[in-house]
Amino acid sequence: MQLLSVRDFDLTRGATDLLDSMDYDGRFGEIKLEITESMIEVSTLPRTLVDGIAADLVGLRQALVSQCARNHIAVCGGGTHPFHRWAERRICPGDRFDEIYHRYGYLAKQFTVFGQHIHVGCTSGDEAIWMTQALGPYVPIFIALSASSPFIDGEDTLFQSARLNAVSAFPLSGQCPALRDWAEFIEHFSFLQACGIARSIKDLYWDVRPKPEFGTVEIRVCDTPLTVERAAALAALAQSLVRHLLRTRPALDTQRHLYVARYNKFQACRYGFDGQISDPIGLQQVPLRQIARELLAVLVEDARELGCSAWLQLLDASLAGEISDASWLRGRQAIHRSLNDVVREATMRFRNKGSTHLAEGPQ
Amino acid sequence: MLNDIFSPVRAAWEGLQERLFFLPPFPDELDSLALFSMLLVVGLLVGEWLRARLGWPKVIGYVLAGTLFGPSVLGWISIEALAQIRPMADAALGLLMLEIGRGLDLRWLSHNRGLLRATLSEITPSFTAIFLFAWGVVGLMPAWAAAAAAVTMASAPAVVLLIVEESSAQGQVTEWIMLHTALSAAASFVVFAVVVGVVHAEYSDDWLNAVVHPLWVLVGALMIAWLMALLALLVAALLPKRSLAQVFILVATALLAVGTARMLAVPVFLTLFLMGAILSFSDQERTLSYTNLPEGHWLLAIILFVVVGASLPWQDFTWLIGLQAIGLLIVRAVAKVAALAWAGGGLAAPKRMLVGIGIQPLSATAVFMAYEIAGLYPEIGRSSLSLPFLRRPSWSLPARLSAVSPWGA
Repeated sequence: MQLLSVRDFDLTRGATDLLDSMDYDGRFGEIKLEITESMIEVSTLPRTLVDGIAADLVGLRQALVSQCARNHIAVCGGGTHPFHRWAERRICPGDRFDEIYHRYGYLAKQFTVFGQHIHVGCTSGDEAIWMTQALGPYVPIFIALSASSPFIDGEDTLFQSARLNAVSAFPLSGQCPALRDWAEFIEHFSFLQACGIARSIKDLYWDVRPKPEFGTVEIRVCDTPLTVERAAALAALAQSLVRHLLRTRPALDTQRHLYVARYNKFQACRYGFDGQISDPIGLQQVPLRQIARELLAVLVEDARELGCSAWLQLLDASLAGEISDASWLRGRQAIHRSLNDVVREATMRFRNKGSTHLAEGPQ
Repeated sequence: MLNDIFSPVRAAWEGLQERLFFLPPFPDELDSLALFSMLLVVGLLVGEWLRARLGWPKVIGYVLAGTLFGPSVLGWISIEALAQIRPMADAALGLLMLEIGRGLDLRWLSHNRGLLRATLSEITPSFTAIFLFAWGVVGLMPAWAAAAAAVTMASAPAVVLLIVEESSAQGQVTEWIMLHTALSAAASFVVFAVVVGVVHAEYSDDWLNAVVHPLWVLVGALMIAWLMALLALLVAALLPKRSLAQVFILVATALLAVGTARMLAVPVFLTLFLMGAILSFSDQERTLSYTNLPEGHWLLAIILFVVVGASLPWQDFTWLIGLQAIGLLIVRAVAKVAALAWAGGGLAAPKRMLVGIGIQPLSATAVFMAYEIAGLYPEIGRSSLSLPFLRRPSWSLPARLSAVSPWGA
């Protein structure tokens, strides 16, 4: 989440003070520091139902908004801050943050971008690796549905999600190689360790990666949405998709998908729903919007079984209405012609004030 | 000293005048612009040198430069020159006070009651402690002890703003310091207005002026501030947000407020502070909220601090006065730090201590307030108002300065 000055809605340094002064018992999950002082990370508790995730997010939002008000700062979502100056960012105290800053230099400050990571529980390491590969082709859909970072440095980037370009600068970003099972993953990771490239799995900034500490697969490509409702809807998509994949166990051709993965990711980042996705099996291009709508139709049964149909309907409505967070931000900018005002409205939207699409949540 | 240096030049010049009819009379005073640029260069050099060598805030260098070249030490900046540059200093102080006022967000206090408690508990003991010290220890009359407390209870908005800007400070400690500074300045201004009435009552036995003058100060400042804020918002609403044109409008209306306040004998610092606060509170459409003053206003700030440094009456220093001044500063410091230590407000105790240290600066506004009152009663000897600035035997310097002030006696 972004921490903002209430005077001009630029990013401000407030994370450490916010956590120090916070009177919060952790009942909805964690609130913790991120790499720079202008960011705060929130994570829900592990939940079996998306409704539980949504309730946690609402509780976390309430805790954050009220404490931020006490500290004279504001908070909002969005994948990038539209006009902050990265050089003004300050690295948070902590050995891990120090180590990242010394290793990556200015990239660490430029990493003041904001993403939503979705964890889905797996029953075994082998299943986690299979799921990591199986989710790969769906990465563009998650990018397009979450895209909320059209502005950087005060400029319209023409991207729907410009955030991922900041992530791409890191040497271990990208896709998980074509690994078949947990044993191959361990072998690959040991190789990276032996070469001195990676020290822990945290160093792997893959789009989708296994997270053995949690027993999950982590989808890492989503921008932080502007509302907790869209965040919950994306979690519903992930949960339904994973159930569908585990149920149908489609044959994977990971190597072929890896050939087109970067291209498809670019299409989703640049054009959002209007992207053209390369199909390495059918050897054709398909509109991302079409793939996404077909996927949502396919997932109806799984969503119903998981009790999260209403959340997927929100995403479907968003697709049908061609409304994304990125387009909303551009729309506000067209009206205000002031990115300060755009961010101010984003803070109101995060607080659930004012009418917005996806603001109400499923009934 | 300068006369000795220039006397041969003057003689040569006057000799030439007999043959070169176009030559003007030898300039006895520096042109305002020349003086402005000289003060700027000297202040900048000393400020940068201190910053580079000792890591001190530049503002200390500006004040030291003024002190060194002012009437008290080298005398290169004469009392007349100080009076000449006073409009520039007023403009500088006005713009800085505008910024402090614009940064004042009373809505924060409604979200954080502990902070409100902390602020009040800092302002009240500061005034009380200084008053008791000036009255009980130094032996001033109650009215003058109150006057001394009024002008010194607040932190120095201009200094705090300059240092925050210079160090790009952000975070809760900075936010607290800015809020405490703005609110203590506001409280100080109100007490100051009341003190103006007390001064009339004490020294003129003129109850009409004792009542009407404070009202004139407060209502006049409020009216000018409100009108100028309204004007600024109306015109700025026609322009793109954060545009250069909006910056010009903000500066122009602020300078108009400075000029109007000077014409109507209303304190500039109070008027501009109120204008900033009204802008902050009434700008619902955020018309000017994101528009910052140009970097150039820091040039004016340098002039302000050089003038402040030059105005400090070091030539009247005695050990007794020095000890009294140090005593006052210690009492003031202890009151502020202790109040912050005792107060809550959701900030950890070590950081509250930092806030207590951050609000210690005492500078330009207090000096100007003292001068405003001194302008009314230049005959007052050993006034309590000079206590914080090394108490003077007479108010001759401020009185002469006030010759250009609308508050002049």
